[in-house]
Amino acid sequence: MLEILRKTIKAGCQTTKYPAVPDIAPEGFRGKPEISDKCTFCGDCIKVCPPGVIWFTEKSGEKTLSLSYCGCIFCGRCEEACGYGAIKLTQEYELASKTKEDLITSIRSKL
Amino acid sequence: MNANIESIKKEFNTNVLEVSTLHNETYLTVKKELIVKMCDYIYHHLDLPVVCIFATDERKIDGSFKIHYVFSEARDDSFIILRISIDEKNPKYPSITNKIASANWYEREIQDMFGLIPQGHPDPRRLMNFEDWPAGVHPLRKDFDIKTKPPRVDGEYIYRRVEGEGVYEIPVGPVHAGVIEPGHFRFSVAGEPIINLEIRHFYTHKGVEKLFENISIDKAVFLAERISGDNSVAHAVTFCQAMEKIAGLNIPPRANHIRTILLELERIYNHIADIAGIATDVAFSFGAAHANKLKEDVLQLNERVTGSRLLRGMNTIGGVRRDIGGSKDEILLSLSIIQRDFRKLMEHLSSTPSLMDRIETTGRLYNDIAKGLHVVGPVGRASGIDRDMRRDHPYAAYKEFNFKVIVSKAGDVHARTIVRADEVCESVGLIEQALWSLPEGDIRVKVDKIPDGYALGICEAPRGETIYWIRTSGNKIERCKVRDPSFCNWLSIEYAVLDNIVPDFPIINKSLSLSYSGNDM
Repeated sequence: MLEILRKTIKAGCQTTKYPAVPDIAPEGFRGKPEISDKCTFCGDCIKVCPPGVIWFTEKSGEKTLSLSYCGCIFCGRCEEACGYGAIKLTQEYELASKTKEDLITSIRSKL
Repeated sequence: MNANIESIKKEFNTNVLEVSTLHNETYLTVKKELIVKMCDYIYHHLDLPVVCIFATDERKIDGSFKIHYVFSEARDDSFIILRISIDEKNPKYPSITNKIASANWYEREIQDMFGLIPQGHPDPRRLMNFEDWPAGVHPLRKDFDIKTKPPRVDGEYIYRRVEGEGVYEIPVGPVHAGVIEPGHFRFSVAGEPIINLEIRHFYTHKGVEKLFENISIDKAVFLAERISGDNSVAHAVTFCQAMEKIAGLNIPPRANHIRTILLELERIYNHIADIAGIATDVAFSFGAAHANKLKEDVLQLNERVTGSRLLRGMNTIGGVRRDIGGSKDEILLSLSIIQRDFRKLMEHLSSTPSLMDRIETTGRLYNDIAKGLHVVGPVGRASGIDRDMRRDHPYAAYKEFNFKVIVSKAGDVHARTIVRADEVCESVGLIEQALWSLPEGDIRVKVDKIPDGYALGICEAPRGETIYWIRTSGNKIERCKVRDPSFCNWLSIEYAVLDNIVPDFPIINKSLSLSYSGNDM
């Protein structure tokens, strides 16, 4: 019993102040992928995405590349495949949302 | 040719129709009428365990189904695979379960998935296709389209009945109190001791093997990684190894070292988590809190090193995707602190009577039963089965390192705890050796196309041996058989709980560390 008490005091408080204090993921963390305007709409990322959550739409003179975090497995293959550095995994991990629409990121361009 | 093949040929001469050797796998095509005799000979006379039984649908090639029986020979790192051919019009073959108990679930799986009937099977009930699944629909047959939604039908599952004065049945699950996966446990008790347990699983059968046949090879590794959440690396490595064997690829030594490190990191956090679980289940929350803290330390180390707490996205066919050589000092430092704290914690746990009283002699799994069911991994080793894929069928860089295979004879929860604790220390040693001798060079070779062929992949996951058998054709997966360690180990719980009291069931269950997800594929 004394030993338990000693160890407990020595261990102290192990939990962090998150979410009051932000907990920043380490460098190299595989988090939320983001698409930048370097995108040329070549479609290489669409081909390599294992769950198939990147897609391409064309509507009223505008082309759109969208990515849904709903099914994203954060494997980073899109980042690997992109020849323009347009898609990158970030350190962001707080992705919870009430609607699926909030979980879609897209980039648009005039045709 | 090795001595076993010679003696099989001598014993069965003309009945062995064809012999072909690929890498360390020898395929013997034999007559199906003789399969029981031959399996019996190899299993009992040559003393080789059956590690996997699976079927393939080759009706497109020669109009028949094939069943493969894989035997493992540890002495010279080889496999003997018996292959029988079953005509579509007469989909029956003799069951070997009466001679080899570990064939039980495999034969029932083949019956459900391919519609091939094992004649003389002692328990021919359905295993994976539940009673609401229509008869005659077999998902792994090639003519079953993946998008098929068969109608639900009425049916009933008959449980074994245990009757007598004062005998009560306690049904538990499939929905459990905690956030865990579904499984049904039906206890029969007379007073407090359990006199029978029947388990029922596969509630979340997802058709993973069918999925493999419908995705491209480069994406399949990510599917393999997600079969059993906490054994991600082991599944991914096994898959990659099978593919690399088919392609005849030698991956760079640096990649092999990194794979070894990842596999051992996975083993460390799994074993510590199991020990934390055992402490939780005996209500020793102090021990559980400290063990969980250590597990969290390993997970955070994983995250810093690979970008993923569960070490995902690291493996690929041809090597690894990220170099972890730069984190050498960090890994060494973190692990030495974790190991020091872990050792102290284990000393503490073993000097706590309230814990030891609950785990000593509890849930004993006897050696003959463990051997009969082919129980694998730390559970098997705690019951005296001296088997470890890292030593018996070495892969990655294990051949270059020294480590001890921990074996205990007691077979109780305590033995399983100690085996895991000692394995954690061996794993730390392995990581240190791998890091100190990390070779320079590339971490992956480029793979464009996988040639047609087939091969076995094998790996020692934290739960035990994981096996993949893959056949490729036209750069696609034709068949991918996945055998998770839990598929072998689940039945052992029916024996481990006998004569124990119901309140000890959670500890016994935890100490066997069984995966629902890896089992319900």
